[in-house]
This record gives sequence, C-alpha cells and structure tokens, in this order.
Amino acid sequence: MYAIQLANRYLTSRIIPLIAVGAVALCVALVVIVVSVMSGFLDMLKSSGRTLMGDVVINYPVRGMPWYDELVRAIEAEPAAQAATPLVDTYGLLRMPYPQGAEKEVVTANVWGIDPASFERVTDYSRTLHWRPPADQAEADAMGPDDPRRKLSPRIVADGLALRRGDTGEPGLVMGLHVSIVNERQRDGSYRSRYGWFMPDHRVTLTLVPISAKGTVAEPREQVFPVVNEFRSAVYQIDKNRVMIPLAEAQRMLRLDEGTLHDMEAPPNADGSQPVLGRSPARVHRVLVRARPGVTPDQLREAVETAYARFEQACAADPSKLVKPPLREMVSILTWEQHLRDLIGPVEKEREMMRILFSIVYLVCAGLVLSIFWAIVQEKSRDIGILRSIGASRGGVLWIFLQYGLVIGLVGGVVGIGLGWLVITNINAIHQAIGERAPLWSWTACFAASTIALLMTVRQGLRGVLLPTLLWLVGAITLGLAGAGLMAHRGTLIWDPAVYYFSTIPDRVDWVTAGITWLGAVVFSVLGASVPAAKAADIDPVRALRHE
Amino acid sequence: MSEAPLLQARDLHKTYRMGRLDVPVLRGADFTMRKGEWVAILGSSGSGKSTLMHLLGLLDEPDRGRGGVWFEGQPVAGLRGGARNHYRNRSVGFVFQFYHLLPELTVLENAMLPCRVAGAGRAAAGHVRSLLTAFGLDHRLHHRPRELSGGERQRVAIARALANEPRVLLADEPTGNLDARTGGEILDMITGLHRQGLSIAMVTHDPAVAARADRVVQLVDGRVADR
Repeated sequence: MYAIQLANRYLTSRIIPLIAVGAVALCVALVVIVVSVMSGFLDMLKSSGRTLMGDVVINYPVRGMPWYDELVRAIEAEPAAQAATPLVDTYGLLRMPYPQGAEKEVVTANVWGIDPASFERVTDYSRTLHWRPPADQAEADAMGPDDPRRKLSPRIVADGLALRRGDTGEPGLVMGLHVSIVNERQRDGSYRSRYGWFMPDHRVTLTLVPISAKGTVAEPREQVFPVVNEFRSAVYQIDKNRVMIPLAEAQRMLRLDEGTLHDMEAPPNADGSQPVLGRSPARVHRVLVRARPGVTPDQLREAVETAYARFEQACAADPSKLVKPPLREMVSILTWEQHLRDLIGPVEKEREMMRILFSIVYLVCAGLVLSIFWAIVQEKSRDIGILRSIGASRGGVLWIFLQYGLVIGLVGGVVGIGLGWLVITNINAIHQAIGERAPLWSWTACFAASTIALLMTVRQGLRGVLLPTLLWLVGAITLGLAGAGLMAHRGTLIWDPAVYYFSTIPDRVDWVTAGITWLGAVVFSVLGASVPAAKAADIDPVRALRHE
Repeated sequence: MSEAPLLQARDLHKTYRMGRLDVPVLRGADFTMRKGEWVAILGSSGSGKSTLMHLLGLLDEPDRGRGGVWFEGQPVAGLRGGARNHYRNRSVGFVFQFYHLLPELTVLENAMLPCRVAGAGRAAAGHVRSLLTAFGLDHRLHHRPRELSGGERQRVAIARALANEPRVLLADEPTGNLDARTGGEILDMITGLHRQGLSIAMVTHDPAVAARADRVVQLVDGRVADR
C-alpha cells in the first residue's frame, strides 16, 4: 500500500518522471508511425494487386494462348472459381491531344485489352473509374465551381464500363489518371484539370507493335480512340502507365485476332497465296481468375491447374484444332501474391527490417528509465533509509521503483500510441503542409513568441536568477530558429508517389504493432527500472540515514 | 524471580572499515533498559552513541559473533528478513536528529507510514490523527514537511515513531538540530510520553538533556559506563 502511495507521489511531484514518460512516448510513437505506414503501404499494395488482377493469373506473354474462351469456360466450371477473364497485355505509344499545335506529346503506355463485362466480374474494375457525376445534390454542392465533375456526361460511367462511346458506338480508351499531365491532385484528394484540359473530352492515338510467332516485329498499327473515362487504382505506377482498350481492338492491332492458318511449307496456289490449313484462333496473353468467397488463392490455383490440364488434353484430342495451346510447362499459373512477389517481397522484408531496427527504441526506453531512476535512487537514498528504519522490507522498496517503471511504461506507451495515432491519421495533411511554403502566420507567431521569451530572459536576468534566465533564453533561441526555419522553408516533397507507388500515404494505425510496441515499452521500462530498484533495495539504511 | 530487561545488549562490538583501516567504534558495549525506563546514552561526538542505537533498533548488525541484543528476553540481533522488519516496525520507534520525514508526503501521511508498512492504513488513521492532535499538529495534517518549523517536524517524527505503539522509543539526538526553546518543548513532550509509561533510549551529547532521563550511561572508548 505504501509502495503505491510513494510511487504515485514520486511520479506526480517531480518533473523527471514526466521527462521519462515523454521519452518513452516519443519512442513508442516513432515505432507506431513508421511501422503503421509500412504496414499500410504493404496492405495497399496487396489490396490493389488483388483488385487489379483477381486471385490467380495464367500468363503466356508475347505469342498468346489460343482457345482462351474454352479455357475460361473450363476454369469457370471449377467450383472454386467465380469468374475468369481474358486479357491482352502489351506496351504501346500514346499520342496525346496536347499541347496546342502540331507537336503533340507522346508517352509510352502499358496497354491492356480487356473484355469489360468479364473483367468487371474478376477485378471490380468499375470501382476504379474516376469520373462520375455527383451522386446527389449535396455531393454536387460540395464540388468547386471549376470541378469538371459538374459537367460530366451522364453516360460517362457506362461508357467507361463498356469501353465504348454510347452515342457513336466507337471503341473507347480508359486511361490511368496520371497517364496525362492534366489531372492535378488537390489537398482534399480531389483532382482539378490543369490548363483547362479534361481528357474524356479528347481523343488519343494509340500505336501498337505486333510481334510475330517467330518473335520478329511487324508493321506498327495505330488507331484513334476517344477517351471515355479515366481510372485510379491508387497504385501510382499503374495510374501513370496503364491504358485499357477493348480486347478485340487490342487483338486486332497486335494481330492476335482470329485469322486463317496457311500451310507455309506447301507449294503456293495459282494466285500466289499459300494453301489454307484451317482457322487460326484469336489469342490472349493472360487469363485472370477470381475465387469464390471463402476460397483461398492457393486453393484456386490448384483448381486452375486442374482446369488447364483438362483444357490442354481436350485441345490435344480435338483434330479440328490445328493450333494447340501452350504446354503447361510454358505457362505460369500464379496467385496474385506470387505474381507480385518481386514487388511485395522486398516491401515485406523492409517492414520487418524496420521493426527490428526500431526495436532498438526498447533499449532506449530501458536505458532512459535506468539512468533517470538511477539518479532518483541516488537522490532518494535517505528516504529509503527512513523506510527501512520503520520496517519496510527490501521487497517493498524494490516494488516502489518497479511500480514507478511500470507506470512510466504504461503511461508513456499510451501517450505514444495517442501521439502516433494523431500523426498517422493526419499524415497526409502534415505531408501536404511540409510540401508547401510555411504560411505567414506560422513564422511570424514564432518570431513574436521568441521576442516575448527574449524579454522574459532580460527580466529574469535583471532579477539575477540563473535557471529561469537560461530556460527563457533556450526558449527564445528555439522559437527564433523555428521561425527562421519556417520562413526559409520552400516546401519539401517527402513522399514522392513516383517512388512510393501510391499517391497518398497510408493513414491507418497498425493496432497489432501498436499493442506489441506498448507492451515492449512497458516490459523494457520495468527492466530499466529493475537495476536501480535492486540498488535501492540494497541500500544500507545506516549509511543512507547518515547521508545528510 | 526478577523480570527480564525490556532491552538489553551484551558485549557489542562494531567496527567500521574506513578505506584500508578498521575503526573499532564499539568494543564490548553492554546496555540494559527496564520496562518504563528512560535511559540517556551520553557521549562525545564519534563515541559510537548512534551506532549503539542502530544496533539496538536492528538497523545495523554487530560484528560477526561478537555480542547480541535481547528484547523482552528474546535474542533479536540474529533476526532476518520479515522478523527483523517486524521488530523495526512494531517493537521500536526511531526519532532522528534531522527528523527524516519524506518530503513528498503530508504530515498525516508521514505519521501514518509505519501503519501503512504494517498494512494497517485506514484502521490506524484515527490513532495517528489523535497523536498528531495531542502534539498540537491538528492544523498541519495536510502540510508538507517543508512548510513546518523544525520543532513541528520533530513532533511529526515522534508521532511517526509512536504510530504503531512501539514498546521502546529510540531517539538519536532529538533536540540536536533545534534551538534551546524548541528543544526544551520537545523534551517536555518526551517527558510526558515517558510519564505515560513509554520506555525511552535517548542518545545525546548534552548533559543537560541527559539529566531529564531516569538513568544516564556514558559511552567511553566504545564501552558503556554508568554515571
């Protein structure tokens, strides 16, 4: 009972424990912020990866897989599979409608030819479409007067989903929000058109280079597409590079569409053409598969393996199919996580590395508590002597200081988690503020506060008291330097989306990590307190009482 | 058959090590105190008065195998752990020259501390309050030691020493840090307690203070001699 009372009094009547609590809080906040951002980054990466490509990917690049319709049907017949969609994946050149004049900007783009209906069933593509008319009047009122969403065609979402202009029926193109330079992100996360350009009002010219079965490059093909919408996956690299066009257009431009199969070995016909062997089926580079709810990607992958084997056997046994699908060994069938392993793996390792590196803060906690408590025990040795003289046991004295450490760990941890939560939930606003020039009021306020602190320094100096004079002086210098720093600050881009993939910083606290960090801070604070506590328990009461 | 002494020490030896030197402080000191007696231990500075007091109160231990302490006829010098703490908490009460109050605690909390150590916080609160009231500190219960005068601090220290109603009060120069008038008041208080039956062993270097006791013993060359 007395141990609790004394630990409480030592905590509340002195400034040193508050410094210890502050130090532990800062350590905990540091870990919570860093690991939460890393975890959020990883989660966003994984969630985006899955949204963009379903659960399992069958990949056979360049030449493409024939008879993919039958493969899709075979996969969809598997109970584990919910839907499958064929996809053409290539690179091309995109001629933009800007700037004004003859010289237009040309960018490289990762082109996906998709079948919109089945692609939607596999990837939730519709959710990524960026341009949508306001859902209701309240949403419309919240938009600024220049917001392009105010003047959107009501069919823009339908056109984006169908990859086709509803009014003219011509095939359309949907591009990532950062493929063009015209969309400028605002502080609130919305986008404003730069230079008055709005991509869905314009057409772009896409050039693709077909590659033959022999691996040689054929004559490039180009086609003009109206931009029917833009999408935002939140993965910056994808939003910066990817465009989507209808599957049939992509196949035609890459010569992957259905054609006639000629016998190139036979003597030519009278008209000079080669004899026809049969039909050459259309091809795709990938088939994306989505799992039914409750089915894991690994379970689905096994089902897809089975379906592919069945499909391969069926094609081999069908004499009408002169072109056979690629052998299983030539095709990769991977879960989305395996497919993105090169991307996700290093990030996971980085996060674990961060966890380990930042675990050093536990030692910092222990060291801080140890050194502070050591000083307290030195100072309180007389009190310990008094306690022993009235019958307090060594264990009781030990418990006072262990409790003291426990409370510092508990309180510091809670404050640290609160601080971490505050920073994490506002991290994008903080980042935005760092990225801009400091407002006038911020540095003038610092200078004003610095001036007041300086006047207080002079006042205290005239009174001849050294410590307050020194503290005010330190305050004045700190505030002055902060003001100068803010005045000189021109804005620093810390989180470059081009480097970190995402256009926003993850802003959710990793509560598991926060909990573990809190527990670690408590344990290490108690461990740090245990050495001085043992020293306190060992103090000879006679010596302590003679110390006057 | 005569009653056993309340507190007795026989042939106590205590040597302190000062660097490489062994400095003998007690060289076979004997001490006896009957129940209800007030014994003053007189001696010059450094004569070992406080050391004797610490040994009687089991704050310190005599040199190995050299002498012992008996309380109510029972040997106590060899007590260990909880029994030793219990002796200090219940059987004796210490009063020091420099009061030794805990600055973070109020007057009431300081006086209550032995009761709290004994695990009898609330139950003993009434008794401690009445002690403090009897010592004229009822208006100071929630003050911190730094807000008190020297005399008030020593009265709080005496109240703390008596909180668990010990059999013996061990007072080490209780007036040594006070002016003559305040010291006199404290001695009056101790005299009053003695009249109520409290046994007191008091260390002092002042013969005038020692004169208040029932009996005076003197420490000379590490041994006790009756005066």
